[in-house]
Amino acid sequence: MLEVKGLHKHFQLNNKQILHAVDGVSLSIKKNTIVGLVGESGSGKSTLGKALVGLHNKTAGEVFYCGEKLPAEYSASDFRRFSQQIQMIFQDPYASLNPRMTIEEILTEPLRIQGQLNKGQRRKLAIEWLQKVNLHASHLGRYPHEFSGGQRQRIGIARALIIEPDFVVCDEPISALDVSVQAQVVNLLGELQKSMGLTLLFIAHDLSMVRYISDVMVVMYLGRVVEEGAADDVFFSPLHPYTQALIESNPVADPDSERHKQHKLIKGEVPSPVNLPSGCRFAGRCDKVMDQCLQQEPELKPVVGSERRVACHLIS
Amino acid sequence: MSVALEVQNLSVEFNTQGGRVQAVRDVSFAVNSGETLAIVGESGCGKSVTMMSIMGLIPMPPGKVVSGSALLNGRNILGLTNNALNKIRGSEVGMIFQDPMNALNPTMRVGDQIAETLIIHRGMKRAEALQQAVRLLDRTKIPEAKNRARQYPFEFSGGMLQRAMIAMSLACNPSILIADEPTTALDVTIQNQVLELMREIQREEQMAIVLITHDLGVVARMADEVAVMYAGQIIESGSAHDVFHRSAHPYTLGLKSAMPSIADTANKNHVLQAIAGSPPDLFSPPKGCGYCSRCPHAMNVCATTPVDMIVINRTENHHSRCWLQHPQANRPVDDLFQPALTGSE
Amino acid sequence: MKHFIPTPNDFLPLVKAEEAEAIVRPSLSYWQDAWQRLKQNRRALWSLYLIVALLGFSFVLPVIVSLDPIKQDLTQLSQSPGLSRTSVIVETLPWSGRYAEAAISTANTPNTEFTSMTVADLRLVANAHTESVRLTWEPLAGAAYYRIYRHILVPSGSTDLGLPLGATERPAQVSYEDRLKLKTTDYYYSVVAVNKAGVDSLFATLKVSAHHATGINDAISRGLLGDVIDRDNVLNTEIQLQQHILGTDQLGRDMLSRLAYGGQTSLFIGLVAPFIFVVIGIIYGGLAGYLGGRVDEVMMRFADFVIALPFLLFMILFRVAMGIGSGESGILPMLIALVALSWPSIARLVRGQVLQLREQPFIEAAQLMGANSSYLIWRHMLPNVMGVVLVSLTFAIPSAIFTEAFLSFIGMGVAPPTPSWGAMCNDGVKSFLSHPHELLLPAVLISLTVLAFNLLGDGLRDALDSRMKGSR
Repeated sequence: MLEVKGLHKHFQLNNKQILHAVDGVSLSIKKNTIVGLVGESGSGKSTLGKALVGLHNKTAGEVFYCGEKLPAEYSASDFRRFSQQIQMIFQDPYASLNPRMTIEEILTEPLRIQGQLNKGQRRKLAIEWLQKVNLHASHLGRYPHEFSGGQRQRIGIARALIIEPDFVVCDEPISALDVSVQAQVVNLLGELQKSMGLTLLFIAHDLSMVRYISDVMVVMYLGRVVEEGAADDVFFSPLHPYTQALIESNPVADPDSERHKQHKLIKGEVPSPVNLPSGCRFAGRCDKVMDQCLQQEPELKPVVGSERRVACHLIS
Repeated sequence: MSVALEVQNLSVEFNTQGGRVQAVRDVSFAVNSGETLAIVGESGCGKSVTMMSIMGLIPMPPGKVVSGSALLNGRNILGLTNNALNKIRGSEVGMIFQDPMNALNPTMRVGDQIAETLIIHRGMKRAEALQQAVRLLDRTKIPEAKNRARQYPFEFSGGMLQRAMIAMSLACNPSILIADEPTTALDVTIQNQVLELMREIQREEQMAIVLITHDLGVVARMADEVAVMYAGQIIESGSAHDVFHRSAHPYTLGLKSAMPSIADTANKNHVLQAIAGSPPDLFSPPKGCGYCSRCPHAMNVCATTPVDMIVINRTENHHSRCWLQHPQANRPVDDLFQPALTGSE
Repeated sequence: MKHFIPTPNDFLPLVKAEEAEAIVRPSLSYWQDAWQRLKQNRRALWSLYLIVALLGFSFVLPVIVSLDPIKQDLTQLSQSPGLSRTSVIVETLPWSGRYAEAAISTANTPNTEFTSMTVADLRLVANAHTESVRLTWEPLAGAAYYRIYRHILVPSGSTDLGLPLGATERPAQVSYEDRLKLKTTDYYYSVVAVNKAGVDSLFATLKVSAHHATGINDAISRGLLGDVIDRDNVLNTEIQLQQHILGTDQLGRDMLSRLAYGGQTSLFIGLVAPFIFVVIGIIYGGLAGYLGGRVDEVMMRFADFVIALPFLLFMILFRVAMGIGSGESGILPMLIALVALSWPSIARLVRGQVLQLREQPFIEAAQLMGANSSYLIWRHMLPNVMGVVLVSLTFAIPSAIFTEAFLSFIGMGVAPPTPSWGAMCNDGVKSFLSHPHELLLPAVLISLTVLAFNLLGDGLRDALDSRMKGSR
């Protein structure tokens, strides 16, 4: 459904330096699946999401959507054309709704811009969607600040889905929410995905949550995909040393196992995406580093006998 | 093992334009030295306000400590003057926050800032203090501590800053460390490093840690004792094992089932149990139990009458603020840990 | 709780009402909410009332009551504030005087000593009024002539008699008429007898309260008496003078009218100039921020350049360029200079806001829907910028008013006779000691206006700010 080929997104910094946010990502997303995209801050996962929907220009590389090549730089009319198929749910439920607009105006905005339906129909649809996200028709005339974070995020979801897109990028939709509310949102997304036949790219840093919701898990490190495969496979038997470290560090809500586990620490921090290390990007922190890792950057290659792909010299 | 901090019946209010907010209501807990107490709860539950008001870090007014006492090594520190508290904050109590960038002076070198604490609280000479500062940075595993001490906060990454904050709070060998969401802003791999560092230092110093967090994973990793807060009250407290595996309050249960479980390797069809609704407005807290409106097991009494902490297990110090634990309540709730009737009171 | 004994009914499952997520509080839009907060701020609210009152005073009052800020009332120059005054119509022919026949002989004696110990029986001949005061006294033997003084205070001795008015020419003349225009207050007249040797130790003092009077010819020529004039009948009748509640200035112009019309000038400049430059600033800053990049850079450097220009110099340049000499009205150049040099601060503010907003996810969301630029600007950016703009507008108004007042004060603003508060202050300064109301009244109005707008701005900022925080 969505095919990403060698996508690069570089940012020009003031001092003539280049920030390699996304540095050669290739990815294919099948219809009707949920792809979880995980990585630490600076891994480029959000940038990738925004580049896919067109909010960031693409420095290099191509993205095909249902066989059609998406433009590298979007104009308003491009947005109008593709927004019916590709939508996005944002991270911050507080900043993603215009505080001066009522819920009705927010929900009907996509339809209004697209010039779909008349006012009464739009309103009817908005009420329908409010109920779909477990809110009430009486909320139409209210303003975003009157809602809690979870409620706002549900409004954000309704806005993204009201024009019935096929592919939705969810950019950390739950990371600003409390635990008890995260479940509401995740469940809602799951239900809607099934009932509408959506394809989701679910960006998050919470590994357990990504494992829970997605079919495929993609792990990014410093602008590159390091591992890709079925969510359970990646989560329970990670192949790349970085994925292993990431899952090792993921705290589990069980004191019996967690407290007495010997925690394997990975040393150091994520290097700056401005001055990329040569060779494998994880080499500096990897405890299984080899000479080859320092010289040659590993490619994302399929693992023999499975549907997984890993970028590590150890595996091939 | 001695009690490092004991808080009893603490209530804190805020007088705002919209009315009185009862942010903390009748909170009691104790931490032993060498142990970690985790105060866990969602945003707005009062977990930070509790510790901040004890340390005199909330502005008064609008804040006001209505009642309660806080015994730090046997001495009541509630209501001390700001000067007296200042002395305590630097020496007997160390503190680290979610955003270390705000807690450090951006125009001062990191080493100088740590040295300043030593000069003020331990009366060291400047050169000696600087040396000690480097030793402290080294101890928190900051590579090239000597060079790092000469850098400014903005040259540090988030994880490094949190280490520097820990170094600073350790400067005067505090008997208790208050950590307010210390790893929330950090990535998991870095969080792992910082948590490990805290545990290591705790082992060496036999220091008490009060860890404020919303992350049950972090709690599981760190805590000996756990206090779960909701709507300004502690609704369940006890050993980490008891609170996690014998949860005696529907909210604790709810939190647990709202998180994806990784224990069952294959079973992905297990559905997250979301807690419906949102926490009550603390302008006018509900008459009965604060969790009543969201609780799937609510009874008539929950809506009308506030409930005391009910002892679940006296020896393990396990308490729950729930009417379901009352001997007269029908006890059909699955999952909810309930002791045999004879064991409770 | 200790005393609470539960019944079995207490432990039955609670039947919960539906709609756990209903919001009970009434729905308020951003502006409604800000208005609620502003209403709670009493200082700001009173400032708002004061501003409305000032606007009413300047723009509505002249419509309801006919006021003329230019007409001179020469009968009442520099009149202090007060209620309506009456005036008596009097003949203004000069007085022939009074001569003492009996005294001549004594005066003719070569005796240089005064025979009496004082100037006796100093009295008024007719009613004293502002057109003339006629004094007479009994002749004093030994006096060669008399000198007459006038004082506004009680004389403390022979060296403190006040203003010398004149002297009589002959010993027999025992009268004096003071025809210098008087005010309607108390005067102390002293008559000093002087002998041939020049000894002037004897004097008498009389307190005189002058009534307001108008000479009949003046009254006729100024039309105070209407059309039909019967000289004999109107003489010595009282007529009502025009009322000047706040007094008059030194040219006899009504202060109330001048303050009202002056307020029009001041508030016009103070409201119109900021309004125009705020609009320009929004457009300029909004464009710079929205377009961003190189365009933004160039536009903002130009704004920086404009900020660096000295205002007063430009004001003068504009006057010269528009061919306006000194003493001619300079409202337009003032307006142009204010607008031309003040917009960059608003532009900077708006640009900053827009730059911030551009990164907001709700803008990105709208962009993603395919919204075009004008939609983004009008629907999303402007409503979110308006709060900040409104606050800075409220602060720009008093500063513009003050600038106008200052320029008029130094004579670069409006030309006489058009009033403006600043120009009135300038006029009033000259007679501040004798007629303080001429300076104080416009000065108080300027201060009140500036203060009211500043307090309102403060209140608005608080109301809008806390609203922003509350939304988090």
